[in-house]
Amino acid sequence: MSRKRKPVTDIQIAICGSAGDGTIAAGDILKRAMARAGYKVIAFDLYPAEIRGFGKCIARTRITANQVYSMKQKSDVLISLDDSHAIPHVDEVCDYGAIIYEDNPMSKVEEGGHISGHAAPAHIPYGIPFREMSERATGSARSRNMVAVGYIAGLYGMPQKIFHEIVTAKFKGKAAVVTTGNIAAFDAGYEAGAATIRLDFGVLESRSRRRGKADLVMMNGNAATVRGCLDAGIETFFGYPITPATSIMEILAAEMPKTGGRLVQTEDEISAVAAAIGAGYTGARSATATSGPGLALMTEMLGLGTIAEVPSVIFVSQRGGPSTGMPTKTEQSDLNLAVFGVAGDGQRIVLAPTNVEGCYKCAGKAFEMAEQYQTPVIVLLDLYLSNRYEAVAFPEKNPFVRKCSKGVSRRGTGSPYSRYAITDDWVSPRAVPGTEGCQHAITGLEHDVFGRPNDQAHVHEMMSRKRHEKLEAAINHPDITISKRFGDRGKVDVGLLGWGSTFGEILEAMFVAQKEGIKCAAMKVVMLSPFPKPAVVPYLDDCAEVLVPELNYEGQFADLVTSATGRPVNRLNRVPGTPMRVDEILAEIRRLADGAKQMAAE
Amino acid sequence: MSEPLHYVIIGTGAAGTEAALHLRQRDADCRITMVTAGRLLFIRRYELPKVFDGVEDWRELLVYPPEFYDEHGITVRRNSWVTNVDPERRVLGMRHKEEVSYDRLLVASGGGGYIPAGLSEYRHLLQRFATFGDAIRMRQSLPEGGRVIMLGADMTGLDLARKLTAAGFRLTVVATEQLFWPHEVSPRKRTRFVKALVAMGIEVIQGRAVAGIEATNSGGPARRVVMDKGDLRGDVVIPFFGLMPTLDFMVGAGVDIERGLLVNPQLATTDKNIWAAGDVCQIWSPEENHYRFYYGWKNVKMMGRIAALNMTGDNEAVDTVKEEDLFINANGEIDSPFWEYD
Ligand SMILES: Cc1cc2nc3c(=O)[nH]c(=O)nc-3n(C[C@H](O)[C@H](O)[C@H](O)COP(=O)(O)OP(=O)(O)OC[C@H]3O[C@@H](n4cnc5c(N)ncnc54)[C@H](O)[C@@H]3O)c2cc1C
Repeated sequence: MSRKRKPVTDIQIAICGSAGDGTIAAGDILKRAMARAGYKVIAFDLYPAEIRGFGKCIARTRITANQVYSMKQKSDVLISLDDSHAIPHVDEVCDYGAIIYEDNPMSKVEEGGHISGHAAPAHIPYGIPFREMSERATGSARSRNMVAVGYIAGLYGMPQKIFHEIVTAKFKGKAAVVTTGNIAAFDAGYEAGAATIRLDFGVLESRSRRRGKADLVMMNGNAATVRGCLDAGIETFFGYPITPATSIMEILAAEMPKTGGRLVQTEDEISAVAAAIGAGYTGARSATATSGPGLALMTEMLGLGTIAEVPSVIFVSQRGGPSTGMPTKTEQSDLNLAVFGVAGDGQRIVLAPTNVEGCYKCAGKAFEMAEQYQTPVIVLLDLYLSNRYEAVAFPEKNPFVRKCSKGVSRRGTGSPYSRYAITDDWVSPRAVPGTEGCQHAITGLEHDVFGRPNDQAHVHEMMSRKRHEKLEAAINHPDITISKRFGDRGKVDVGLLGWGSTFGEILEAMFVAQKEGIKCAAMKVVMLSPFPKPAVVPYLDDCAEVLVPELNYEGQFADLVTSATGRPVNRLNRVPGTPMRVDEILAEIRRLADGAKQMAAE
Repeated sequence: MSEPLHYVIIGTGAAGTEAALHLRQRDADCRITMVTAGRLLFIRRYELPKVFDGVEDWRELLVYPPEFYDEHGITVRRNSWVTNVDPERRVLGMRHKEEVSYDRLLVASGGGGYIPAGLSEYRHLLQRFATFGDAIRMRQSLPEGGRVIMLGADMTGLDLARKLTAAGFRLTVVATEQLFWPHEVSPRKRTRFVKALVAMGIEVIQGRAVAGIEATNSGGPARRVVMDKGDLRGDVVIPFFGLMPTLDFMVGAGVDIERGLLVNPQLATTDKNIWAAGDVCQIWSPEENHYRFYYGWKNVKMMGRIAALNMTGDNEAVDTVKEEDLFINANGEIDSPFWEYD
């Protein structure tokens, strides 16, 4: 019997350690080097729950030859930089996968405290004296993480030179000894790895380095969001830190001054959104970023943005809720709050990208839409998407329209400026404060076309209609994917419908189902509000069964679909705090496909 | 209810694994932990030459699949070196600075290839052949039809030699007195057996001594064996001079040691909680009135079983497989009961 190795590169490496171990840095170097070497890479890092202290960090990197859309359930390699953290993750290593660990710890280990005692019989252990090797190479144990990265690189024959380039770039600006030390530690690990006979079965075929694709960048969702903001010409940002949105503000704080932008950390989320709306009122492209609890605080102000028809962009990275909930766990349970969380009939635009590239596009387009439709636009991310790294090809030409506000034509003196004039497309010509001849009031009270408070029935009827009708055009907004269908064309047995970060898992499950011979399709819905009914309804018509997998308990998107289309859907709701499992989606697809076949037979 | 006993076995070879299996059969509730320096589960070592027939997947050599250990509730700690045993506290010290406690300990740590003092300075130029990794490395060093120079040879080495010859490699054996170890062979029979080896395609050089080994970079085979008269060139040089019991970690444990770990016919050491089985132990032979080794797959398996019985309350003595002689089979090739595995 000759067991053939899997032919195609698809290896997931998890590095687990304490916050002080350089775990995330090690993962970062690995993923950047592999992306530069021409592999497809997607990565997802988990940070400690504590803001300070030595909590657990895990950097997971999936390296493939072909594009994939989600992390694997089980890793092929687990590198432990801290056994106490890594031991609970041993069962996340696949059969015949590798566990690489410190073989010569500094101090005594409690009985049962060493990871070698927890490896399953089908795991392959590799004990390496990381600490000792780091000390020998650099005089200090601090570069253990680099020895570990070097070891895995050597073991799998990854391109050493590219790692050197990445390490050099990473420590650019620091003392030269930092770079040379880290490279020395990496090389020590590399040599040891290359000299080891590999007994696990992870597949990594060598690859010629990708050339001429300099703009393929490893980036996570939050960083891509920032790039979208910058390319769209963000001018002001107001924010208050909250996991997992904080890094949006952190990166913008470094980048915005370079283009003359302003960023202010406010005292809370209410001030942040109020300031963003205020800046939007003055004509500045303005944004804030928060998570579910922050959005809850912002809802009153967002109502003001809606009624006063002021553009602003609100990035919301969801985490486990309600309340403080699970700050470091992913979830998709703020859909209702984002779409419906407002006093009165306050519809707004809500976009939910499904991958890192989508974060860039939605971020940039959000500014366009906010300006064009004169409304707050929420971009709904989640922790998994915010922290997930993918190799993204950014367009060579900036794809975003910088000025798209419906302006005010030159005015004579006679008629007063009506800020809320009823027009064919329900969008009123907008003048920013200080525009000559365009004095007007804005208010949170219902108002007439001039902005004067007015609660008469016909005025409220008209203005309510105006505020809703003008948004309908957004579902045809140019150059953005509002929804998209994948998989089999025409009638299918099972149609998946998804949103946000879970769509990667949905696609993976669909591909497997198709291989199994199930007629299957998947549609992602990027615009949650207004709901793109014209695209979704025909899709539902094609599906014998519709399955909506999402990371919330209540089935918030499923409810949205049913209320918007009147169609029932099957739900798959999970709240594990981690990404949806592909195998669970697949099991549901199989079950529904069986049912669909039976129905057809009867 | 009292705590289940914790049996710890050092070594996952034939002796240790057989013992674990019988311990489980005898005591359904006990804890069993096997500790091994190796990275793999128990493999059929005598099938390692299959790598020269193109076998790349070590799973084909597994004696039991991974599920076997789960199903039998046997914890296997691989890549874990025992550095010392403290019989007072009943703990093993591990190289990775963990202590593992035991109630009863079986030492089944086998033996490693013995390298004579005169050759030890050339260790880095010598190929080993004890693990799957060794076998892969050897295959990587051997070009098609390449030459292997086997120093010493013994029955383990000759087993490899005949398989390498069959796989198309050329074999030169630099023979010593111990050519057929552990068989003891009279001079007359030795001549016949050497002739049979030659007929099997194995070159046998006798009566000459090795003066040194060199690496060569001048193209052609990578090693030169400098002899007292003339040189030999080969791609790989591999020593087989019999086994040395692996028991350095037992020094200081207070049990009696001679060359091996000394045990009575019931395989008990001088410590009441420690037994030994397999290549590591030297068993008291009342008939011969001295301690002696019993090598080979069949013997060590039997020892593993008996150790398990006695650790769980029996009092059985080893009944070693009767020593049978080396012989020449119908094909005119040397053959040995030592080469029958089960
Ligand atoms: C290549 C080769 C071919 C052979 N061919 C034959 C043959 O054809 N016929 C035959 O009958 N016999 C053959 N033998 C010999 C036979 O395999 C041995 O007699 C038998 O394997 C010994 O079994 P054992 O369980 O005593 O020890 P081993 O199988 O040697 O196992 C020893 C175990 O102890 C572990 N160990 C040692 N030191 C430590 C430590 N400090 N810490 C933790 N673990 C440790 C090792 O990792 C290993 O798991 C061959 C041996 C080899 C190497």
